[in-house]
Amino acid sequence: MKRPPVRFVVICWALLALAAAGQAITGQQRAPATAMSAATEVQAPIGKDSVKFLVIGDSGTGDRAQNETGAQMWQAHSVFPYEFAIMLGDNLYGSERPQDFVAKFERPYKPLLDANISFYAALGNHDDPNQRYYKNFGMGGKRYYTYQKKDVRFYALDSNYMDQDQQKWLEEELKNSNSKWKIAYFHHPIYSSGGRHGSEVDLRSIVEPLFIKYNLNVVFAGHEHFYERLKPQKGINYFTAGGSAKLRAGDIVGSSALTAKGFDTEQSFMVVEIDGDVMRFQTISKRGKRVDSGEIRRIPNS
Amino acid sequence: MTKLLSALIAFSTLLTLSCNKADSSEPRAAAAPAGQAQPAPAASTDPAAGLTAGGQAVNAQGAATLEFKKRIDAYIKIHNDAEAKVPNLKRTDDPKEISDRESALAAAIMTLRAGAKPGEIFAIEYQPYFIKIVQDDFKGRSAADRKALISELPKNIKVDINTVYPTTLPLETFPPALLRKLPDLPPELEYRIVARSLILRDVKANLIVDILRDVVPTIPS
Repeated sequence: MKRPPVRFVVICWALLALAAAGQAITGQQRAPATAMSAATEVQAPIGKDSVKFLVIGDSGTGDRAQNETGAQMWQAHSVFPYEFAIMLGDNLYGSERPQDFVAKFERPYKPLLDANISFYAALGNHDDPNQRYYKNFGMGGKRYYTYQKKDVRFYALDSNYMDQDQQKWLEEELKNSNSKWKIAYFHHPIYSSGGRHGSEVDLRSIVEPLFIKYNLNVVFAGHEHFYERLKPQKGINYFTAGGSAKLRAGDIVGSSALTAKGFDTEQSFMVVEIDGDVMRFQTISKRGKRVDSGEIRRIPNS
Repeated sequence: MTKLLSALIAFSTLLTLSCNKADSSEPRAAAAPAGQAQPAPAASTDPAAGLTAGGQAVNAQGAATLEFKKRIDAYIKIHNDAEAKVPNLKRTDDPKEISDRESALAAAIMTLRAGAKPGEIFAIEYQPYFIKIVQDDFKGRSAADRKALISELPKNIKVDINTVYPTTLPLETFPPALLRKLPDLPPELEYRIVARSLILRDVKANLIVDILRDVVPTIPS
């Protein structure tokens, strides 16, 4: 058998070495590209005049995870320009000195605040109710309140203290609203597959009858440090999104019959669009992966 | 004849007790309108014992609620006096204004209530009534619910009357069904549970106004 010429072998080795080097370089360059691809996994909203908002829960740690997730929220905004953000409670963990408001809220979300994105907070069990006076939380000095965005009526509740005044207020507000969409959000999930906390059945016994009676469409809650989309319960769609800084990895009970989709391995947040009779949602991880998405069609009230 | 009389007395006592139990599950406003409340024996320490006195049925729940409300009103007067001494709290961009105001209000109330002792609002003679409401509520829950609820409560923490609620301590969720059974509070105040204690907390001042210890049952190991 004729041996290949030496020059040919050298050229082949050189090409192979170059290819290997190229691979390595490409790999190195891809690493940040993968991190950047985070934002690329967020899809742009479809509706032209839709209501677009961000959903954040259990965020106020001031730690690296909150800051990184906050940066990802801002990246998502470049593709999905949400106009406001709802906060599901535990807005500030631990002390609430003036510098804590900076470290646990103003700094992580500075680009959003600079872009005049309004925040509307609900109170969590770690929150001093006096947060209601902090303008950036949009609570208007109230522990529970309501506001309207186009066709959508939002109800921010205080699930820490569901007294009779709040129940009466909620019933009146739900009854008097003719909005196409009614969305409630509060800290404690009344349905949850969390191993640590689970469903707040006591709270459920109080608020669920009102939700059903007055055709509430969607509920967002936090408290559980993960993301969970629940199978609709009695016609209402429930989301838990309490992993925007804190994370309780592996806490979703695998065998739960409640779960439609769960994500408990990384911090996350949601972007939501309400477009006519359709609500589209995307759940984005801290590293920018779209871990859940879908749409909910509103059933017109009978 | 004596036996028959004893049986009749026992039956009527039981009947009164069961009626009262039914009342206690009603929302407070309906259960104890101030005008209908009747006085309870002053020194009774057993919520059930006050139900019959000298052959007369006595609405201990109504009396306890009425007395409690009087004491709450007295506290609110102090709160308002203190609030008049500190700057008004408006919505602000500056969290320092919020915390400064909270501290100033707490300090003013603490001064006005210097020497306050546990039981100033949870009156001693009616404490068993509150304890019974809480303990009955816990008894009525499933073991899993009870355990979940207790596991959420802040533990290993000592709180005291007329002191600031620890700012790093979470405010546990107050069980809504239990809240329905307790007397209503004005918006300035709220009930909270810390460890095994039921506390009254001034919301704007973040101050512990009164404390009732050993109310929450322990979980049997």
